[in-house]
Amino acid sequence: MEILVCIKQVPGTTKVEVDPVTGVLKRDGVDSKMNPYDLYAIETALRIREQRGGRVSVITMGPPQASVVIKEAYMMGVDDGILLSDRRFAGSDVLATSYTLSQGIKKVSNPDLIICGKQTTDGDTAQVGPEIAEYLGIPHVANVRKILEIKDSSIVVEMDMPETVEIAEIKYPCLITVEKDIFQPRLPSFKKKLETRDREVKMFTLQDFEDRDEKSYGLNGSPTKVERIFPPEVNNDRRMLKGNPEELRNKITVKLKELRFI
Amino acid sequence: MAKLIVNQEKITDIDALIKICPFGAMENKNGILEINASCRMCKLCVRRGPEGAVVYVEDEVVKVDKSKWKGIAVYVDHVEGDIHPVTFELIGKARELADKVNHPVYCLFMGHDIGHRAEELLHYGVDEVFVYDNEMLKDFRIEPYTAVFEDFVNRVKPSVILVGATTIGRSLAPRVAARFKTGLTADCTVLDIKENTDLVQIRPAFGGNIMAQIVTPNNRPQMATVRYKVMTAPERKAEASGRIIHCSIEENRLKSNINVLSVTKKQKEHGISEAEIIVAAGRGIKSEKDMAMIYELADVLGAEVACTRPLIEAGWLDSKRQIGLSGRTVRPKLIITCGISGAVQFTAGMNNSEYIIAINKDEKAPIFKVAHYGIVGDIYEIIPGLIENIKRVKEA
Amino acid sequence: MNYKKVDFNDIEYLISVCGSDRVFYGENINEDYSHDELGGVKRMPEAVVQVLSTEEVSKIMKYAYENNIPVTPRGSGTGLVGASVPIYGGIMIDLSNMNRILELDEENLTLTVEPGVLLMEIAKFVEEHDLFYPPDPGEKTATIGGNINTNAGGMRAVKYGVTRDYVRGLEVVLPNGEVIQVGGKVVKNSSGYSIKDLIVGSEGTLGIVTKAILRLLPLPKKAVSLLIPFKDLESAIETVPKIIKSKSIPTAIEFMQRAAIVAAEEYLGKKFPDNSSDAYLLLTFDGNSREEIEAAYERVAHICLEEGALDVYISDTQERQEAIWSARGAFLEAIKATTTEMDECDVVVPRNKVAEFVKFTHELEDKFNIRIRSFGHAGDGNLHIYVLRDDLDEETWHKKLNDVMKCMYDRARELSGQVSGEHGIGFAKKPYLKESLNEEYINLMRGIKMAFDPKNILNPGKVCQ
Repeated sequence: MEILVCIKQVPGTTKVEVDPVTGVLKRDGVDSKMNPYDLYAIETALRIREQRGGRVSVITMGPPQASVVIKEAYMMGVDDGILLSDRRFAGSDVLATSYTLSQGIKKVSNPDLIICGKQTTDGDTAQVGPEIAEYLGIPHVANVRKILEIKDSSIVVEMDMPETVEIAEIKYPCLITVEKDIFQPRLPSFKKKLETRDREVKMFTLQDFEDRDEKSYGLNGSPTKVERIFPPEVNNDRRMLKGNPEELRNKITVKLKELRFI
Repeated sequence: MAKLIVNQEKITDIDALIKICPFGAMENKNGILEINASCRMCKLCVRRGPEGAVVYVEDEVVKVDKSKWKGIAVYVDHVEGDIHPVTFELIGKARELADKVNHPVYCLFMGHDIGHRAEELLHYGVDEVFVYDNEMLKDFRIEPYTAVFEDFVNRVKPSVILVGATTIGRSLAPRVAARFKTGLTADCTVLDIKENTDLVQIRPAFGGNIMAQIVTPNNRPQMATVRYKVMTAPERKAEASGRIIHCSIEENRLKSNINVLSVTKKQKEHGISEAEIIVAAGRGIKSEKDMAMIYELADVLGAEVACTRPLIEAGWLDSKRQIGLSGRTVRPKLIITCGISGAVQFTAGMNNSEYIIAINKDEKAPIFKVAHYGIVGDIYEIIPGLIENIKRVKEA
Repeated sequence: MNYKKVDFNDIEYLISVCGSDRVFYGENINEDYSHDELGGVKRMPEAVVQVLSTEEVSKIMKYAYENNIPVTPRGSGTGLVGASVPIYGGIMIDLSNMNRILELDEENLTLTVEPGVLLMEIAKFVEEHDLFYPPDPGEKTATIGGNINTNAGGMRAVKYGVTRDYVRGLEVVLPNGEVIQVGGKVVKNSSGYSIKDLIVGSEGTLGIVTKAILRLLPLPKKAVSLLIPFKDLESAIETVPKIIKSKSIPTAIEFMQRAAIVAAEEYLGKKFPDNSSDAYLLLTFDGNSREEIEAAYERVAHICLEEGALDVYISDTQERQEAIWSARGAFLEAIKATTTEMDECDVVVPRNKVAEFVKFTHELEDKFNIRIRSFGHAGDGNLHIYVLRDDLDEETWHKKLNDVMKCMYDRARELSGQVSGEHGIGFAKKPYLKESLNEEYINLMRGIKMAFDPKNILNPGKVCQ
């Protein structure tokens, strides 16, 4: 079975600030790491491989340095890694990112199952998975919280819905996005680090794709524009109330209503 | 076509220019400045580098005719016909946006056996409800739902589509956005609309540490998802208004490779670590039987019950319900502490909660230093009446 | 001992010093003041005063000294041996509200604090200035005053040493109410006997610390932990001396067994990254760059693999560190949650004897048919061993507990160990201290106590008495 996991390199912390002068995110000294939610996706893939055999690959888009997250995936037990890197991918929004990844996937493999993390910690959009599935023309199920069965031509999953849980069987090829805590991700292994030290990371640029039209990628292929970024307002509001019990409980009720808890 | 062009002759100090880039995307290759794949197109080099050294050029792009796209549409989120309340909140927002640009408000309602439920939407101020009722739409499956959505967009050409950021909306909206190669902004907290019908979307990123204002200037429809309890639902009107339009779609477009085996009610998860609302009890509770009012308060709020160490030692609760720095730390959206003085071992385990309401008799109790809403009073005099209040509000 | 009972006049005096809001007596005293974290020793004080200044402490001490009233100082009450329990009643001085950070001196790299500042507040404050206070005991809500008084060590002792190594100077109120300054911001000090070092670890019996000057280090920019599975605890712990010999010094070397991990998973409702092996070592390395840390840990990783480690797992991100260290931090509570009552043994043995000692506790478990759980600082030889009561009746429990404790302390002595690594002697461990030290040593300690406190009113009945 061929499993492909989409991963991303994100800043090491979400505690970022906006530079008030330039309006650009301050990233000085900010380490990067693999998007934590992707670890669950990799873990899911590895567990499926343990059960059914096959290969697990990862794919990412980013600058050349992003190959470190692929190396990290190798240390968790992933077989293969692909990095899509090109200056012309710069400034991609969700749509352009999804399109680029789908082009990369078409180029390199024909996976039975694609697994994505629930979302990233920098963008928080949770959209890339479904959009890749659309571009590849395959079905997807998001918010998978349990893998129930892995069959020869389909997978049975439990999907989290607003008030219900849906159990669905999806034919391959398909894409799933997995919830946090579907499995506890394993830690990178030093033994595997030694074993995979020389394993290559396959690199592709726009020239390698089926669609080489620059207009489809990067800033040009991105319908959304960020007009500005700014720090959120902080709620430092603190109040102490005294009074008779009747008044106090009415005030709590009003507050709970205002905060939309009732 | 937009790109960065480097004019080598205008660069005076190549290394100084390289330093401007926060992403390390510029390299000095034998005296020639090159931009590599790390570029994020932030254009800092354009703005802060020597004049004309790096320039941003944009070719003319074909402009979308915005006048051909009219209306604010809301996707009706439901499971088996039970409409999710986020839908009404979005209708409220849609109405407000629509009135600013003089557009109609539409609803898209797809499923099976939902005709009679669509009537309900007419009490919230929508102009047209488009109903796709088909057995193949009984359960949420991505391909047929996307196909119907596509049919609706092609038929109606709405300028804006709002979708509830439920697990269904977050799965369906991106699929539709990709089909129309248009922008989708997730989890918007503020929405506004410009005169030219561009939707102004504000959303948090980086786990809420940054807010971003996003527009989709040259694509239609514009799509956004919004979480439950962010917008305000309008009052239900006694009179229905607007109309229902029944639509159909060829069945061969509703095929799916997904087979839904079962849909079951979600089991309520018990545990304080992931709970959204917590009612925490402390030493102010005088006897075990008085825990009943704590449980009842939790019950009416849909909250989990937690406690401080003395109640564990008294054997009234399971130790998994103890909040404390060395035990379980919690960060719910709301925590109501009842009769807890706020020893540091406790507060260090909960002071990252989004909203803290503390009820305690002693106004000098340290819990009031971390509470957003401090209530100086006797829990025995406040909680029973509070429970009644909440019940009344919920019934209304 | 014949102490004066606290009466109305005494309360009036205390109120005249601190005002009525901060003086508690009779039924108004919170029950918490009668015990510490482990709760085995209990006694209510007759009066509690929440002090705010050195002057107040001095006045109260002077008064108590003149009137022969015992005084017990207290911080957060997170001790485990009853050191802060007022076993003769009297006045309890609660220093937890003296919690201001007074000065950060970046030129001398010192931090001056009041005793009630919490360990976690110090860590947070200095980190914001890119500085580092290395002592890192598990109980983050302990006060610095309490830490100084037990000479707590914590996880980073392997590389950085213990609290005593980071106390530069103290302001101390003596039992007679006089205030003295010991040490200071100076780095070196050969000026006579080091009273400062006597106060550190004195468990509130020689004086009350009202101010401390702490030594800081530059903050290491990065930390990486290694979680190393072994087939059994022996092979895990036997690897430790080889790691130490390798001279790549980790900041922490902890050992843990599956039972403790599973208990923590259950308690926290969170999965640990790996629980497939019987025993683990947990190592942390800190440094200023990824490369520097990698070079250090790779050497150690190779040693571990050579010594039979099943693998070496790398924890290098915030999420991974949290998954591991939140479990490590919850061991005590988690083990507590599995039983009805427990008592602890905090022995320290030479680092190459840890394996032998842990093996011995396993033998005791069988011999006495009682559950014993342990985890601890393999890298510094300090073991935290918990004897669990489960469903034993009161009498059997006490009998077994005493027997097991005696066996453990005897064994520690045979291995050239000491009774306490970092929790202190307090009240609960006095008999074991007496047995482990010779009379001359005890007499010296008593003489020191007499020199400081001739009337024996400050925290009497503790440590060597």
